[in-house]
Amino acid sequence: MTQVEQFHYDNKIVKKFAYATMLWGIVGMLVGLIIALQLVFPSLNFDTPFLTFSRLRPLHTNAVIFAFVGNGIFMGVYYSLQRLMKARMFSDLLSNLHFWGWQLIIVSAALTLPFGFTTSGEYAELVWPIDIAITLVWVIFGINMFGTILKRREEHLYVAVWFYIATWITVAVLHIVRNLELPTSGLHSYGIFAGVQEALVQWWYGHNAVAFFLTTPYLGLMYYFMPKAANRPVYSYRLSIVHFWALIFIYIWAGPHHLLYTSLPDWAQSLGMVFSLMLIAPSWGGMINGLLTLRGAWDRVRQDPILKFMVVAVTAYGMSTFEGPMMSIKSFNAVTHYTDWTIAHVHVGALGWNGMLTFGVLYWLIPRIFNTKLHSTNLANVHFWLATLGIIFYAIPLYWGGVTQFLMWRDFTPDGFLVYPNFLETVTQIIPMYALRVLGGTIYLTGVILGVYNLLKTTGSAKCVDNEYAEAPALAQHHVETGVKKHWHSWIERRPMQMLVGSLVLVLIGGMVELFPMWWIDDNVPKIASVKPYTPLELQGRDLYVREGCVGCHSQMIRPFRFETERYGEYSKSGEYVYDRPFLWGSKRTGPDLAREGTGKNKKSDSWHYHHMNDPTSTSPGSIMPAYPWMAEDDLDVSTTAAKISALRKLGTPYDAGYEEIANEDLAKQASAIAKRLKEEGVDQPGVEKKEIVAMIAYLQRLGVDITLEAQAEK
Amino acid sequence: MKNICLRPILLAATTLLPLAIWAQAATTSVVPANQDFWANTFGNLTLIVAGVVVIGALIAITRLFSSVVKMQEIQMLREKGIEEVVEAYRQPEQSWWDRLMKSMTNAVPVTQEADIDLGHDYDGIRELDNKMPPWWLGLFYGTIIFSVIYLFAFHMSDIGPSSKEEYDTEMETAKAEVNAYVATQAEAIDETNVTAVTDEQELALGKSIYEASCVSCHGKLGEGGIGPNMTDEYWLHGGGIADVFKTIKNGVPEKGMISWADQLRASDMQRVASYILTLQGTNPPNGKAPQGDKYDASKAGGTAAPATDSASPAPADSTAAAAPAVGK
Repeated sequence: MTQVEQFHYDNKIVKKFAYATMLWGIVGMLVGLIIALQLVFPSLNFDTPFLTFSRLRPLHTNAVIFAFVGNGIFMGVYYSLQRLMKARMFSDLLSNLHFWGWQLIIVSAALTLPFGFTTSGEYAELVWPIDIAITLVWVIFGINMFGTILKRREEHLYVAVWFYIATWITVAVLHIVRNLELPTSGLHSYGIFAGVQEALVQWWYGHNAVAFFLTTPYLGLMYYFMPKAANRPVYSYRLSIVHFWALIFIYIWAGPHHLLYTSLPDWAQSLGMVFSLMLIAPSWGGMINGLLTLRGAWDRVRQDPILKFMVVAVTAYGMSTFEGPMMSIKSFNAVTHYTDWTIAHVHVGALGWNGMLTFGVLYWLIPRIFNTKLHSTNLANVHFWLATLGIIFYAIPLYWGGVTQFLMWRDFTPDGFLVYPNFLETVTQIIPMYALRVLGGTIYLTGVILGVYNLLKTTGSAKCVDNEYAEAPALAQHHVETGVKKHWHSWIERRPMQMLVGSLVLVLIGGMVELFPMWWIDDNVPKIASVKPYTPLELQGRDLYVREGCVGCHSQMIRPFRFETERYGEYSKSGEYVYDRPFLWGSKRTGPDLAREGTGKNKKSDSWHYHHMNDPTSTSPGSIMPAYPWMAEDDLDVSTTAAKISALRKLGTPYDAGYEEIANEDLAKQASAIAKRLKEEGVDQPGVEKKEIVAMIAYLQRLGVDITLEAQAEK
Repeated sequence: MKNICLRPILLAATTLLPLAIWAQAATTSVVPANQDFWANTFGNLTLIVAGVVVIGALIAITRLFSSVVKMQEIQMLREKGIEEVVEAYRQPEQSWWDRLMKSMTNAVPVTQEADIDLGHDYDGIRELDNKMPPWWLGLFYGTIIFSVIYLFAFHMSDIGPSSKEEYDTEMETAKAEVNAYVATQAEAIDETNVTAVTDEQELALGKSIYEASCVSCHGKLGEGGIGPNMTDEYWLHGGGIADVFKTIKNGVPEKGMISWADQLRASDMQRVASYILTLQGTNPPNGKAPQGDKYDASKAGGTAAPATDSASPAPADSTAAAAPAVGK
């Protein structure tokens, strides 16, 4: 006879995460709205470094993913885990350390990214000290979660908890491997991987940030909050089992679909493609189980805004997870890659799936932990319709713009010329679509603000039940076969550690098969003899390129298509990137590709670059690129050269021993040569050789040069 | 109908296949691609035949299965009489839609869900044990089978081209198309035969090209900027129509003037060069100081094309000049 135990759920920590979710949701989306406006009205960059599009874009993505959705995950996990385990969180101290640690990370991201402290890897931009802080906070979260699971009063783990466990272990692996780096100073580092290898690690990480940060934990939330809100049983237990294991196993392979037709070896591209296709069914398993759980409750979906939010969220999930595999088919990816189609796609996921589910959960959970009613159901309905409309107005113009731009890129005259040889024409053409997107974003954000107002009104008139009373029988010491649980899978549901290890093994398989050959089989990156390390000035210029976030709009990866090689020159080879730390292939072309900027038909004079960086419209009328006038005003910091050179040598770049001692002499020589040329071309700025702009010009003029030398040598 | 072995085998196959593929990719990089049309056709035919055989086999199995069911019905009729059988088949009439939905989802109706309630209770959440929807399973198996075929076709056989082969084919096709088109056009213009156009429409076209491509360096009115002033009599690379045409076409890369041959067709370069020469003596504000030598048309042999006796291009060259953009 087991004794009924009494305890309290910790609602206070849930409340904190809920407030943080609302706050960062508004902040993250506001930054998104600002940068969307900047694409239509470039003057909104205000010629101010920390307000410039290219520095704010990573702030937007990080804020939405890690601050808004991140806090949303923790809110939902802390609420549901306690109830599913019939136990209070393992430690209030750890809960609070987790909460405040995470907020501190977000604030430090907001204080570094706009000021140019970035590593430039998408969704992994944060500098190394913050990476360490994330690791620590993640471990705290893990201990707290597993502590709670281990002291549970419920013998079996519910499917939501499987998803939480897989999320925790996979994110830990991804974060650590992606951020293996060698610091050169307090806020700067070089990654241990370079070029094509780093590209593969990046998208193995980046894609699975989507998979294991935006998807699996939210599926866990769906499995808890949707049946609760609908008061209906989960449709199919065996579907849960199959789609859970299939999803985590297959997802991890899909990363290379971000690198189709790049210089990643074909075998890795094909793996990325086919595993993405195999993902449709496991992803849809979640959608089916969610939507069919509502059988018998559809009449209530019409009235209950919470269920409406959840239904649209799950539907958006279904759409994105169908679209994603389609975009992974090589021939279709040729169309969508580098265009705004991708931006539309991720926003259907982020605004639809994550945004709508977050607010569905908030509307359900806030009145419960405050033991009151929602302030206004009507307002929640208004929010729902604004959110739905906002997504439509956001996505459709960008799909349209993406296809338009692609068609313009690839259009040839019968006599073999590009119809739109000037890239800028293909940008100005779709600015009206950018304007419509701003409208969509504004509608969505208005809905969010109304929602937050509604929720704050709800909490304002009530008091949070910080410690909610609960009781449950203690867990028996030994498992007793009751005859009810006879499914084979229930074995692992009683064993959280085996669940953890099982998930880990499954996600490691895909990662290892793809990554290890790239790291250790040299054939995968054919060497090019003429490719040499960057000069010190070019290296500094490259780090400025990273600092300013140029990679957000300019790719450096020419795909093997006629319409690309005619526009930019010879398609890119993996051997060209062996010294690139970080790799800067990019994933979006709001501006043209720059892989061959210093050579061939795209080469421009030093003074062109000087004027263009100061005021892009002076050389390219109608350009929406922000101006970077501070680069001509600020002195280049050469005190970092030595540390950077020695760090790169440690990582394998063949700089001669002791070169760091004299590197700045070479740097000064190259800088004065550029200053001299600038003067000849009519740029009369005294002392320009000391300015950042000279390093930037040196780097841009180096792009693509090495492989041209190879071609000349062969002749 | 439990095919318990099928799933693990398929999963194992898809997991192991990649290993074979990169091993393959690492070792066979020196083997030239098989471009033989008949070989590919043979591969395609084999695939089609294999597909037909598989589908045929599936149909045969289904037929066999339904005939077994029929035989059982007859057995039942013999043993239990007609009433029992009619009773067993008496079910409410369903629309084709309901039947389709039922067969595709295989779901237990909401009214009977207590039968498949697993008795789980997670904080009040119950779980049913509905079968996985057949269409969903079909989709899953279908994508797995497709993946195996795809990886085989593109990495373990010569059926699918590599990215590089795809590119080479694309470029060859484009080159052939462009050459075919150019052959139908009038003789190509180059620096040996170019003349200044005077037609106003032609010059207007030249002006629009100038505004799209040249103003960034030479100024809106030709006053110069990064590049030299084009309204004065001084020229760095000659001021005749052939000189200007040549400068546009080949560029002066060491000074930042790019070659436009890939971006402008010869007739457009002729138009823009002609337009530029109309700017002579316009004296726009903020003109850049003169650069180069004073151009004297009579000394240079006139603005018309120089004598062409020795420099007449071979037809192949003119094709190349008109369509330099392909086939490098």
